[in-house]
Parts: sequence; structure tokens; C-alpha cells
Amino acid sequence: MKKQNKNIPPREIARYAFAIFVILLGVYFDYMDISDQFLGFSSVGSWLTYVGFVMIAVITLQLFYTKKRVVDERMIFVANKAMRMTFLALVLFAFLIIILDGIKTTTITTPYHLFMSYLICGLMIVYFISYKILLRFY
Amino acid sequence: MKTKITFYRNKLGITQEDLGNLVGVTRQTIISLEQGKYNPSLELASKITKALKRKYIEEVFKV
Repeated sequence: MKKQNKNIPPREIARYAFAIFVILLGVYFDYMDISDQFLGFSSVGSWLTYVGFVMIAVITLQLFYTKKRVVDERMIFVANKAMRMTFLALVLFAFLIIILDGIKTTTITTPYHLFMSYLICGLMIVYFISYKILLRFY
Repeated sequence: MKTKITFYRNKLGITQEDLGNLVGVTRQTIISLEQGKYNPSLELASKITKALKRKYIEEVFKV
């Protein structure tokens, strides 16, 4: 009689298989020394091996510590509402920036990468706060 | 939306957690529904009606 493995879900087995494949690919690239021939970087083999081990560590930790979460329609509804609010905040923020740029005599000289980092962090904070607040109302 | 979820749930003697597990939602969603804060989809309303052993959705949910 075939013994069924009830502990590890099939999705996790597939993820483990993919991580092992990534490790084997990395080892193969390193062993054959062919990374730089078609990927452009000689360190790709070592990098793939490293990523594979990190993947195994993450999957194992998730297997032991992640609780099964229920995502119901109310949460999706609230998430969509929070998303709309975040988009509205982005539009308002862009509008404010245009106004400020027009008022100021000197040009805004914030580096692009810094501006994008602040913007993404700001949007994530707006989304998180609006989601938490909206959960109380619905 | 006014609901009679609490009434029928107490009649059956099940908790909010049990009802949530039966219909596949969280306890917080059941609380919101009981308080009339959240309007459920037709699918969820139908599931709750069945879980509360009622025949018609109108018995549980009143617009």
C-alpha cells in the first residue's frame, strides 16, 4: 500500500524541488565554468547556489511557523478600498508637488532614486494605515 | 443591512468562530455582519443561510 505524506503539502514539495534545481544549476555552472559564456557574469553559479539554499531555508521556516490564514471577501473588499485610497493619495501628492514646484523659485533637486524610495515607502505606509483604519469600519 | 445571524446562531448554539469556519470567513467578518457594518455577497449570504439551517436568504438578511 502506498504511504501518503501528510506532513508536507504538494505545493511545498514543488518549491523544494525548484530550490534543489536552482542549487544543482548553480553547481553545474560553477563546475563547468560556463556562467560568463551566456549569462555574462562568472559569479552566477555561486549566486544561484546561494539563492537555492536561501529558498530552502525560507520554505522550511514557512512550513514550521506560518499559520494558515483565511482571506475572506471582506478583507479583499477592504484591501481594494485601501488601494483606491492609496491611488488617490498618489494623485494628490503629485498635484501638490506640481504646485510646490510652481511656487518655488529654485527647482526641486532631490535625486531620482531617493525620490522614488521615499515615494514607494510613503505609498506603502498610506496603504497599510488606510487598510488598518478601514478594517474597523467594515 | 439588518441581519438575524445572532438570533439563529444562538438558536443553534454555535459560536462566531464556528460559523466563520463553516462558511470560510474570519470571526471578525461574522462580527461585522452581525453588527450590520458589512454587506455580504450573494454567495456568502447563501452560505450563511445554509449554515444556519434556514431555507431562504430573506429569513436571515433583511434589506
